[in-house]
Amino acid sequence: MWEALEQMSWVKTFSTTGWMYASVSVIHYLTMFWFIGSMAVVDLRVMGIAARKRNLMELSAQIFPWAWTGFVLAIISGFLMFTADAGDWAPDPVFHVKLVMIILSVVFAILVQRGAPKWAALPEIPTSAKVIATIGLVLWILTILSASEIPAMEGLG
Amino acid sequence: MYGLLQAFAKWLESTPWGTGVRTSLWAYPFTQLVHFTGLSIWIGTNIALDLRLIGLGKKRETAAQLREDLFAWNWIGFCIVVLGGFLLFSSTATTFIVNIAFRWKLGVFVPLALLWHIIVQWKARDWGATQETPGIAKFAGSSEIFLWVCVIWWAVQIPNH
Repeated sequence: MWEALEQMSWVKTFSTTGWMYASVSVIHYLTMFWFIGSMAVVDLRVMGIAARKRNLMELSAQIFPWAWTGFVLAIISGFLMFTADAGDWAPDPVFHVKLVMIILSVVFAILVQRGAPKWAALPEIPTSAKVIATIGLVLWILTILSASEIPAMEGLG
Repeated sequence: MYGLLQAFAKWLESTPWGTGVRTSLWAYPFTQLVHFTGLSIWIGTNIALDLRLIGLGKKRETAAQLREDLFAWNWIGFCIVVLGGFLLFSSTATTFIVNIAFRWKLGVFVPLALLWHIIVQWKARDWGATQETPGIAKFAGSSEIFLWVCVIWWAVQIPNH
């Protein structure tokens, strides 16, 4: 099945045209830096480390729409790169770990997004919130680590 | 000049950190992690200011205020990027210096983008003083994003050369 995906005409065009693949790579990296960086800012705000002058609810409302847009673009661009070598990536445990890490990180990002209005309304951000935000931040960093195995295998390493 | 560069590259490869990153199974991905984490902060804060200068994003604060808020994290991110990049470079410096994509990235576009970023960040105090930003600010924001995209473009080309 994955080999069949690789053989589809649009995938073959995409994977063999240098500038197309490179552009999608650039989008993947750019949107990844963008959305992880901005979600990290919200996590750090909940932890009380960054942007302390900013109201948590305003910051969260300002950042998350952009962050999720970036995330969707990262997924689309990532999927396109996956199709180019689907037969190799699909069974690869390194790739599986990356996907699992992404799912875990997204779960915690959603927890932070949904918690932010509640926590912002309290006189002080509760410790449980800080724990959730810290775990979320650590998960994104571990996601980057697991994702770093991919370019290491592809030759950037 | 090139002889000096090559000697420097060979020396970097022989250092404890260069050798360590090159020969350890986990050190290379971990160093990539440092480089990418730094980039998330650096690129994230750069783009946030650029988009605000262009006029996008909820206008709860002026671009000048945003610049103030992000300044420390922006340059902390940069330091982490440089640390990770330096370690990656050290591991196989002799192959990087002859790689045309790397030369474009670090030799041309990083200095250009960095210089432009410093100017834009400095001028953002004036351009971003009001809610609505002037045309020059919109140009500055978009061109900075373009330059960083060029840097990333050449970075992804490195394995192809």
